[in-house]
Amino acid sequence: MPVIVMASPKGGVGKSTCAVLLASEFARMRADVTVLDCDPNKSLTRWASHGLPAGVTLKSEIGRSEIVPTIRSADGDGKIVIVDLEGVASQLVSRAISQADLVIVPMQPTALDAEIGSEALALVREEEEALGRSIRHAVVLTKTSAAVKSRVQKELEEQLRGAGIDVIEPSLVARAAFSELFAYGGDLTAMMNDPEMMTGGKVDKALINAQAFAEAVYERLK
Amino acid sequence: MSGSNRLAGLKARPKDTTVEEVRRVDEVGEARGFLDRTPRKKPGRKPSPRTHQLHPKVFPWVGEAIAAEAERLGVTQGQLIELMWEKYEGSH
Repeated sequence: MPVIVMASPKGGVGKSTCAVLLASEFARMRADVTVLDCDPNKSLTRWASHGLPAGVTLKSEIGRSEIVPTIRSADGDGKIVIVDLEGVASQLVSRAISQADLVIVPMQPTALDAEIGSEALALVREEEEALGRSIRHAVVLTKTSAAVKSRVQKELEEQLRGAGIDVIEPSLVARAAFSELFAYGGDLTAMMNDPEMMTGGKVDKALINAQAFAEAVYERLK
Repeated sequence: MSGSNRLAGLKARPKDTTVEEVRRVDEVGEARGFLDRTPRKKPGRKPSPRTHQLHPKVFPWVGEAIAAEAERLGVTQGQLIELMWEKYEGSH
């Protein structure tokens, strides 16, 4: 089953959020999901410490030497592997990309994110050339406005598509529920059904956004 | 997405994971600034464990007694030996 790698040398772009949303949604579709937390900030480990959704397994503290064998051992029939990487330009990132069936590059709609994120896209293309096989990759815009698509976002999408880069629709909207997943653990469905969880946001809309995002990723894995 | 396991039909593409392939990936990454950023361990020899041994020829119970007295006085064994040497010199 596929290996999905979240890659961007920039921190804070939403790699861990994407990983959590995909893991939760794929697990809800009854897939056996293994999430590899390769980020020294341990965002996914923190999320898991509050409780993992059924069907999700976490492996953490994976370094440069362990990344390839760990992906290989986690991969198997009926399993989806999701790799959350550190937000730096490291060999850990380049090695993980080499094992991917799909590389997702999250990017906020800002010039800085686009510039740094494009390093990951360039690396994927160079690895494709070096390895002689294609590595599917796509950008997802994150922390976008729920109300309107900004001019910068429109221009960035246009530039990316113009350069032949696959842009995942929908983007991930800035939702309090997404960030609060790391405080409560579990998934958005559990959050919506538990009145004890105070999100201060619209969980139902966050869930619809996450499901549409997972569906778009699924289409790219077929 | 429905609850049915549509994902079961998904397949991973075979990927070689030879040492040569990893080396090529590292080279491509390094050329773009994706370097080995594994935290380095502290350099140098690790400190030896304390044995309380003053000298190989000192009987262990004498060494232990000196270590216990130094600890009681809140000084190092070396400082205690210096005090003992002063007394020894003063007595001759």
